Amino acid sequence: MPPKVPKGEYIETDTGNKISRRSQIHGTQHIILGGKTVIQAEAVIRGDLYRLPSSSAGDPSAPTPSSNTPSVAVTVGRYSYISKGAILRPPSRLHRGVHSFYPLKIGDHVFVGERAVVEAASLGNHVQIGARASVGSMAIIKDFACVLDDAAVPPGMVVPSWCVVGGRPARIVGEVGEGFGVEGAEGGLARERYRVVGR
Amino acid sequence: MSRPFPYTYISCPCADTPVPEPGRKRKSTLSPQKPERTSVPAEDSQETQKEKDDDDEQEQEAQGEDEEEQTFDPRSPRSNFSLYPPEQLLYCEDCHQIKCPRCITEEIVSWYCPNCLFETPSSMVKSDGNRCGRNCFNCPACTAPLAVSAIENMAGNATQQGPWVLSCGYCLWTTLDIGIKFDKPTNIRSQLQKMTDSTAPASFDRKPSRTFGDLKSPLATFSSIDEQSNARHEEDPDQSAHKEDSAPPLGAEARFAALKSFYRTQINETSNSPSDPLSSEFGFSSPGALNRLMSLYASSSRLGGLYGSGNKKPKSKPPVMREALTASEGLRIADSLAEVEVIERLASADCGWNGVASADQRTEQSPDVRFVDDLLPLPVLLRTKRAKRCKPCKHILVKPETKPQSTRFRIRLIALSYIPLPTLRPLAFPSSSSVVSPTVPAPDLTALPPLRPIHVLLNLKNHMFDPVRITLATPSVTPGRVSSKVTVLCPQFEIGANSDVWDEALQGAEAPIADSRSATLRGGEKVPEAGKVWDKGRNWTTVVLEVVPGTLPGTDPLSQGGADDGQSPALPDEDVLEIPVFVHMEWEAEVQLEQQNVGKSSKPDDLVTRELAYWMVLGVGRIQAGL
Repeated sequence: MPPKVPKGEYIETDTGNKISRRSQIHGTQHIILGGKTVIQAEAVIRGDLYRLPSSSAGDPSAPTPSSNTPSVAVTVGRYSYISKGAILRPPSRLHRGVHSFYPLKIGDHVFVGERAVVEAASLGNHVQIGARASVGSMAIIKDFACVLDDAAVPPGMVVPSWCVVGGRPARIVGEVGEGFGVEGAEGGLARERYRVVGR
Repeated sequence: MSRPFPYTYISCPCADTPVPEPGRKRKSTLSPQKPERTSVPAEDSQETQKEKDDDDEQEQEAQGEDEEEQTFDPRSPRSNFSLYPPEQLLYCEDCHQIKCPRCITEEIVSWYCPNCLFETPSSMVKSDGNRCGRNCFNCPACTAPLAVSAIENMAGNATQQGPWVLSCGYCLWTTLDIGIKFDKPTNIRSQLQKMTDSTAPASFDRKPSRTFGDLKSPLATFSSIDEQSNARHEEDPDQSAHKEDSAPPLGAEARFAALKSFYRTQINETSNSPSDPLSSEFGFSSPGALNRLMSLYASSSRLGGLYGSGNKKPKSKPPVMREALTASEGLRIADSLAEVEVIERLASADCGWNGVASADQRTEQSPDVRFVDDLLPLPVLLRTKRAKRCKPCKHILVKPETKPQSTRFRIRLIALSYIPLPTLRPLAFPSSSSVVSPTVPAPDLTALPPLRPIHVLLNLKNHMFDPVRITLATPSVTPGRVSSKVTVLCPQFEIGANSDVWDEALQGAEAPIADSRSATLRGGEKVPEAGKVWDKGRNWTTVVLEVVPGTLPGTDPLSQGGADDGQSPALPDEDVLEIPVFVHMEWEAEVQLEQQNVGKSSKPDDLVTRELAYWMVLGVGRIQAGL
């Protein structure tokens, strides 16, 4: 925590999101935060990589002024926590010769560890992503799943609920206990985490 | 140890159950087994009640002695098997006991593919080989899931895209590496099966008309292996010649299928007791099989041929099982040149190290696979959802919904709903100066300076709807060579009941405020005080533990007389400061239905005192080597 930030490190929005002033959030109009989300310093959210309308599907960086409904690139649920240096990037796929982005949906009570890179299609509720893990493009992580530190979840992998994956490439290595996600226990610390941020 | 500090583990009492009298001991150490001591006794049963009380007191004394003689040592090798993170533990309401994964049994509720999350009906599981029968494959090179993708990715005008392949997004392996393409993007497993075993089933289907017909009659006509194999030799030349031009060797799976069906028919035909209904399916495990095996030794093969024929009961000579003799039955004769070919290929330049399948890859493949070119995509192994039962009483503890996508449970008796959830956090240093600035950082738990007292806050949160009285006890000095001093400043306290959800929701807004207040208090002059709880909320209580980390062996600054244990260096993880804490909880619960009808004047508000006791281990941190 740098001592010279005068107004406190975090901006707190109306819905209770706590966003570090030192985070890098691109394309904010394409990002939905569910409230009480924490985004720590140096985290990167690439809201600018949203899906273009199919007609002008070409270079994603080309601005499309005719977007009536702003397409959503990243959705984050309540009490989710994006740690320092983590990167959230919408997944992309080559479909019929066209490279296009798809929305990244993150559920409630999700924890993304430090310097993790998430390109998943969706992270369910109560998902834990370990530090330095990478979640490949279009991967689907279901509720209450757990990605260990340094794991590399390959693109397109589906991690079922209650499973623990780890390794490179990630495999299912175990299951979390039935109490996972109970408030205050492992997997259920999201509120506590939110509470202590910025104090 | 795998968790970051600070952590809390709870010890399942099943590890303490002594061998000689498991049943009795369990009762006495965990007396909640007997909750008969009703606090509102019926009038006419007071006498018996008194006796019961006496009994209970006696037992409690005995129990006290029992517990005093043993302190839980988190370092003992046995404790590895009993310590679990709190969320892994279950609780049996019948036994009134914590249940760890070692004291439950599991039964499978449903099978599902972890990739496509479709349920596989249990009737299909066996025939699919416990693997997904759809399009889910793992990469044989790296185990990542494979994706179905079209090869020719032309601009998608035509709906017909080119042939499909399976490709790995992780290591970029594709089925093109082994020369396989698929015509359709669906039902890939059967397509693949057809490709790999394309020759086999046809020949297998064609053959039986001839050879199986032959083989059935030999069993009837030949009485021993010798005769039969002789006969086989006679007709061998023409048959084998015929076979080798017509049918190439079977694929691995077809060969297995052929062998399986061959041996099944063999067992069917040789089990000579048609009355035994088990013989067809379980030929070898049935008692009849033993007879058959014994008689096989007595009267079969060569001995049987020499002496058995003159026996008194030639009629009872059992038909003898024989081994597979033809390729269509699954026999494969090792080719003497095959090994040489393999070796040559290994040594050749175009194969090299990269062309050879690794040991990890080969374990998943059929045993013949030696080279990367032979690796086949692996259908994804199924996973299961399992219900869990208490081992002694068979009571269901966990029953998940069968649907693979569902994360809900029909029954879920987790320990956290019964025992208070312990959480540990360090308190900022009670630094030498009385003016504690609020920015004093919490001590670094991975490097605790020895002999410097630290305070840790132990928070216990009650999830039961009844208030609980807690008694904590720790050994004043932690077991092991690193003796840290531990004091629970407030060993006895109460935790409030977990009131209903609405209260929680309403109080949720206040909680941060309460926390901030306590934070300011902490920043101010709030100091840990003996005999007082640190903080208290609706259903939680925080107490302070004072810990003086000991010095590691070998680094003792006080050099205690050069004791033996002071010389050897610290073992790995010996610097981890773990505190065993004995938790005794007592609460008044409503009487269960079965117990209610014991007393005549049973009222619905009848209460019984229950108690539960267990050890837990608090992992505080690591002790620094030097001061």
